[in-house]
Amino acid sequence: MFDGPDEYETAAEPGERRLIRYFERRFISDHDRSRRMAADLSERVREIADARDLPESEVFERALERGIEDLWEDLVLARYLDGDIGREEAVELIGRATVERAERERDVVEEDIAWGLDA
Amino acid sequence: MTVAAVSDAGPLIHLAEVDSLALVDAFDRLHVPETVYEELDRGGLPDGLADRSFELVGAPDDGPAGEDLDPGERAALAVARDRDAVLLTDDLAAREVASEAGLDVHGSLGVIAFGYSRGLVDREEAAALMRALQRETSLFVTDAVVERGIRMLDDT
Repeated sequence: MFDGPDEYETAAEPGERRLIRYFERRFISDHDRSRRMAADLSERVREIADARDLPESEVFERALERGIEDLWEDLVLARYLDGDIGREEAVELIGRATVERAERERDVVEEDIAWGLDA
Repeated sequence: MTVAAVSDAGPLIHLAEVDSLALVDAFDRLHVPETVYEELDRGGLPDGLADRSFELVGAPDDGPAGEDLDPGERAALAVARDRDAVLLTDDLAAREVASEAGLDVHGSLGVIAFGYSRGLVDREEAAALMRALQRETSLFVTDAVVERGIRMLDDT
């Protein structure tokens, strides 16, 4: 049905186009990769729709919701880690487990990079 | 300073996924336990591994305990302790066991920073690789954390 981004852009509903652009910005770094990724996504959407007995538009809608949630977490974590919001506000917005996971990641990454720069 | 490292499968896979396995050349010696190599081989050796210089080594039987670790991680821990080498792993459980055993342990992002400090990549390449690791591989790390790490490159 969809072979790549061009076909998506012309045939997709507005919500689907937003999802496509989201995936392109987040996961895709060049045009060839973009076409491969779009083809993979198209196949996966069809497979999910078939397996869950859902219309493809519903699959896109759910994926968009998950993607926005993911981006929202990233934004809140960036604001928290940069000191723009406090820990309790971050916990309130995205949950304690997510904040604590990011804190562990921050500690590990900072330790790794400090070591790499000084070793 | 001479730096020897021993890697489990994770960093070799993740670095290969972003076409940067050559960064392991920053180490003066790289050991790969036979158990790890066999694990990699079963899933298909990472692209570029055959072009790298490393020593395949057996693991001593008395490595640090780690019930939750897989055989490759246990072997890498044992070799790191036996040879006083830096352990490279992206597995948090292996990292915790290694830290408790007093080993120096770091992950793929640390390897990129190390390659940068040794001049194998410039600042922009290092930053791009860190972002690629986060976005294009199975390594799980929040992008805000990666961006903080990239800013640390600017502080040097």
